[in-house]
Amino acid sequence: MNKISVIIDEKKFDVDPQKTILEVCRENGIEILTMCHLKGLMDIGACRLCIVEVEGINRLLSACTTKVAPNMVVKTATDRIKRYQRITTELFFAERNHVCAVCVSNGKCELQNLGYKVELDHIRYPHLFPQCEVDTSHPWYVMDHNRCIMCTRCVRVCNEVEGAHNWDVMNRGHQVRIISDFNTPWGQSTTCTSCGKCLHACPTGAIWPKAIVQGQLEKNPVMVTELVERRKMKL
Amino acid sequence: MTATHHTHHHAHAQELSKTDPRVKLIAAKMKKENHKPDALIEILHTAQNAFGFLPKEVLNFIAKELHLPPSRVYSTVTFYHFFSLKSKGEHTCLVCTGTACYVKGAQALLNKIESQFSLKPGQVTADNKLGVQVARCIGACGLAPAVVIDNDVHGKVTEEVIINSINEKIGTI
Repeated sequence: MNKISVIIDEKKFDVDPQKTILEVCRENGIEILTMCHLKGLMDIGACRLCIVEVEGINRLLSACTTKVAPNMVVKTATDRIKRYQRITTELFFAERNHVCAVCVSNGKCELQNLGYKVELDHIRYPHLFPQCEVDTSHPWYVMDHNRCIMCTRCVRVCNEVEGAHNWDVMNRGHQVRIISDFNTPWGQSTTCTSCGKCLHACPTGAIWPKAIVQGQLEKNPVMVTELVERRKMKL
Repeated sequence: MTATHHTHHHAHAQELSKTDPRVKLIAAKMKKENHKPDALIEILHTAQNAFGFLPKEVLNFIAKELHLPPSRVYSTVTFYHFFSLKSKGEHTCLVCTGTACYVKGAQALLNKIESQFSLKPGQVTADNKLGVQVARCIGACGLAPAVVIDNDVHGKVTEEVIINSINEKIGTI
């Protein structure tokens, strides 16, 4: 395969043209913040945290959905990018009811870590405080919509890896919610196989197994990536 | 999870009858589309035209026939404003609240409807005769304030005109 040259943060890399900017950065130790990306799942560019500046293009592009191109010049850590990442993170927190102190994911949460990364000290936007449900109808798992950031990693892992497609998204705008079947209780799902992949794919404490207490949740999203890699090898 | 069918707890939930002409219409449409999952939106259109809205039994029927996950069907229905999960009423009164109509007194019309029929936008009377909705702009700004009763557009309406037109439709004069 012919390699192409790209310049990322003033360093030159010779890379496979099939790769995305995000893949190249991750392979070369350049940090890019992500939330909706989970290696092995289809990228959708929804969280807008992996935004990068590409020379010659005015708008910011999502690194996870943009492939590298010959002689592309990319910047990953400008003030403009950092400003938007901070805004995006604040909006995540303002949109639902995130209370770290009582959360199962406290200390091991991707959203919490993101807050630290962007040096979040306060939130400039009014909290929406939406009325969100906590679905405890499943015998083993809980879905707490208060902690969901709509990354749709659970939706994609359920559809692409497990093939069950229990989850999807209903409504639009700020009223979007993750749903099981016809917005029916998870415990009554006709499609869920109770495999638990959604729980590991979830970056926050929105999906978790019962009998877990505050701060005790260990998630393993890499399991999803490894599973996908192993399946590819088998083929 | 066992693959048991979801049980309905609604008082008026009913099983679909294969002899129901509305169900036949949907079945014919699905056959015409070769049960292609990509034809979901067209089939939902047919279903909504037949039933006036999309009851859950109908969504379940469509999902099964097209081999689509229930959540995918529900997601599509809730994404588009055209589709409705609730009955919009036998007769509908849609008040445009776009900028032009708003300036020309759409709110006063809504207030009048509310005082006359005890209906707020999005609500339907208990007997399902009349439903009231609002739309952001129906593109008839020259006729502001505009109201659509069933499928007829009424332009430059007054409070009196709108109440009379509705009463004519629901036959309460």
